[in-house]
Amino acid sequence: MSSSARDDVVAPSEQDLRPHFHQELAELERQALGAIEIVIEQFDRTLDALAHQEISLARIVIADDDRVDGRYLEVHQGILSLLARQTPVAGDLRLVAALLHMIMHVERMGDQCVNIAKLIPLSGHEPPIQDDVLALLGRMGALARTAVVQCKKAFQERDLPLAIDLIRQDGEINKLNREIFNAALAAGEDAEAREWGTYMVLAARAIERIADNAVDIGEQVAFVVTGLFQEFSDSYRPAIRTGMQA
Amino acid sequence: MSTLGADPLMDPKRPLSATGNLRRRRRTDRLMRGVATAAAILAVAILAIVIVTVTGKGASQLSLSFLFKDPAVGLDAVGGGIANAIVGTALIVALATVMAAPIGVLIAIYLTEFSTPRTARPIRLVLDLLNGMPSIVIGVFAYGLLIEGGQQAGWAGSFALAIIMVPLIARATGEMLTLVPRELREASHALGISRWRTIVGIVLPSSLGGILTGLVLAVARSAGETAPLLFTTSIFSNSTTVNIFGTALPNIPLIIFSDSESAFPADHARAWGAAVVLMAFILIGNLGARAMLARQRGKFQSQ
Amino acid sequence: MEGSQPETDASTAPPLAALAITSREHTDVTTRDVVFDLRDVDLYYGATLAVSGLNMLVHKNVITAMIGPSGCGKSTVVRTLNRMNDSIPGFRVSGQVLYHDHDVYAGGVDPVEVRRRIGMVFQRPNPFPKSIYDNIAWAPRLLGQKHNLDERVEKALRGAALWDEVKDRLKGSALGLSGGQQQRLCIARAIAIEPDVLLLDEPCSALDPIATALVEELMQDLKKDYTLVIVTHNMQQAARVAERTAFFSLDVSGGKRTGVLVEYDDTEKLFTRPSDKRTEDYVTGRFG
Repeated sequence: MSSSARDDVVAPSEQDLRPHFHQELAELERQALGAIEIVIEQFDRTLDALAHQEISLARIVIADDDRVDGRYLEVHQGILSLLARQTPVAGDLRLVAALLHMIMHVERMGDQCVNIAKLIPLSGHEPPIQDDVLALLGRMGALARTAVVQCKKAFQERDLPLAIDLIRQDGEINKLNREIFNAALAAGEDAEAREWGTYMVLAARAIERIADNAVDIGEQVAFVVTGLFQEFSDSYRPAIRTGMQA
Repeated sequence: MSTLGADPLMDPKRPLSATGNLRRRRRTDRLMRGVATAAAILAVAILAIVIVTVTGKGASQLSLSFLFKDPAVGLDAVGGGIANAIVGTALIVALATVMAAPIGVLIAIYLTEFSTPRTARPIRLVLDLLNGMPSIVIGVFAYGLLIEGGQQAGWAGSFALAIIMVPLIARATGEMLTLVPRELREASHALGISRWRTIVGIVLPSSLGGILTGLVLAVARSAGETAPLLFTTSIFSNSTTVNIFGTALPNIPLIIFSDSESAFPADHARAWGAAVVLMAFILIGNLGARAMLARQRGKFQSQ
Repeated sequence: MEGSQPETDASTAPPLAALAITSREHTDVTTRDVVFDLRDVDLYYGATLAVSGLNMLVHKNVITAMIGPSGCGKSTVVRTLNRMNDSIPGFRVSGQVLYHDHDVYAGGVDPVEVRRRIGMVFQRPNPFPKSIYDNIAWAPRLLGQKHNLDERVEKALRGAALWDEVKDRLKGSALGLSGGQQQRLCIARAIAIEPDVLLLDEPCSALDPIATALVEELMQDLKKDYTLVIVTHNMQQAARVAERTAFFSLDVSGGKRTGVLVEYDDTEKLFTRPSDKRTEDYVTGRFG
């Protein structure tokens, strides 16, 4: 071993010794967060199609799911490559694991959009709509959209309180889901109306699943920040809220 | 749990005092250490005795006039200085160095840089044999080659001394050259520098101190050689002369020799004085060379 | 992943395979110019066959790594590229070692000129016992590149990420630098004569982790101007640094141990989906 009379001049704590790797990791995160952007676009179009019962919009949503799937594959491959070549540890490793989970949830969200889109043509042209159900769906969709935007922001900024807040929104969305269920039940005796109502219940359930995935992404934020993995639930323990290092 | 059985002496938890035949082993140890120390002291003692005796007998002679005046001339001349011998020795040794150094260094360079194991072995053997050749044989050889039928001359003495110095210089230089790490040569080659330029630019400068040390040691050795000069430059006048090529030059070893055989005590005293001068020169040369060598050895380690 | 196809629309989703990594950045470095072309190369030490049947291309401005267990010939191969094995008695090459289409071992080839264009950095830092400035300036001076020596020295030191640390003590002894700095000095010394290729034989084995990381980052910058071939016994280093990786192993059939090239591919492929089981066993640590 060489002996040293002088230390290298730069103090270790001031310099990133692996800038190329960290740039690659940052780029991977950008790609994954970009996938959420794509899903938000998809979701907007889906809600639009739902609100106006627009079949052509629904078809576009179904076709565009390829973009989400494509991004999923890219990020997945990127994660494998990074793990194989760069041996990330500590925070870097947690981030990579979180990105893997996150991109799967994003892909699920994309699939739920497709599920909703597929329901719209089923009710045929000129379906017998219930305005109150559509209104509830609109509110539910708007809330879910906010949740998705929020989970992206929470991940991007490693904002733990913002992530935990998603639970509250999820609660409200669950409430709306139940309301839609009840409203659809009150559709009346018309068979077509009942059929339409059933489809809308399925759509509501898909929106609720999207919100659940947003909460799951919030859990990943907690994992990256605290190193602990805990299910967010309505009755989560206060320990999550306090005392964890950023 | 110890599996060493019931031997109580092997229990690791026992107190740490001496066990078993330790007392006898200790005595043997002490005895051998005493013997080795005595031998070392003996060696030092011999050197000390030599130095003390010679200095005791000759120091009284030392004076400026002793060093700078020629021996007294004339029919009844006794005493005087040894200036002629000092000058003569200096010239003879200097010429010998000029003859031997380039050859010795080049031989060493060949051996360390260019030879294969097959060619190196006979050359090293020859150098060893030359090193062990009795100096009187070398002296006779020089006489037969250069002087027979003619007159004695100082340069013939230099020639003989050079033959003695070459193996010494070659070996010392060789050791210094091998001290230069192989990685340094490789680094130079990897830069597209030819072998000879590498030797001149990297290897030699790095080992220069050591090579000079080897030279100093060889000089110190040859300055005291008597036999080679006996046949080549022993019949000389009492005055200082620098005509190394034309005539025999006075020199210290032979002054000691002839003065010690003289009938006059003043000459004997002068011989002792000359011996002191010669011994001092050898001692200073050796010690100085050793100091330079120590500095050289530390050169290749990173600080 | 959705299994069912959308029913009526003509714009159906393309099949799954085509969705593979299209927009993700994946440059194919094998389209670049070939710098080294090794054809059926066998390397002998006397009668012993050290490396057998080597076929390999090295591309321009690419970092190519050679990994494998000890004694499989990696260092031998890399030292063959710039004729550094010439000084080993009994060393012999059969086959062709082509450098920009010239056979490095053809008669009439001047090995000194070969090494002028193909430089080398060694395992243990070996600066000359001279000043920092002279370490870098010595070879260019001898090679006739005498003008603008100061700029040349500064450029080399900047290229090795060492300038800021030593610019105020260029006349100081190179042996006073730390191990990591000395190795970067050796890199600066090598690039000062503007070679085409840099061979690095386990350049970080004698360095501490921080110095290693600095040298690894440095290599990413160096590859823009030079072609790099690195031998390393640390396969994680190869994974981090190289675009192409060659895995060498020992063939012990017939009672003799001979080095062979087992697999040579993009680094990512080698470390995620190796084609050869021997490669898989080595990188996963199932055999040394």
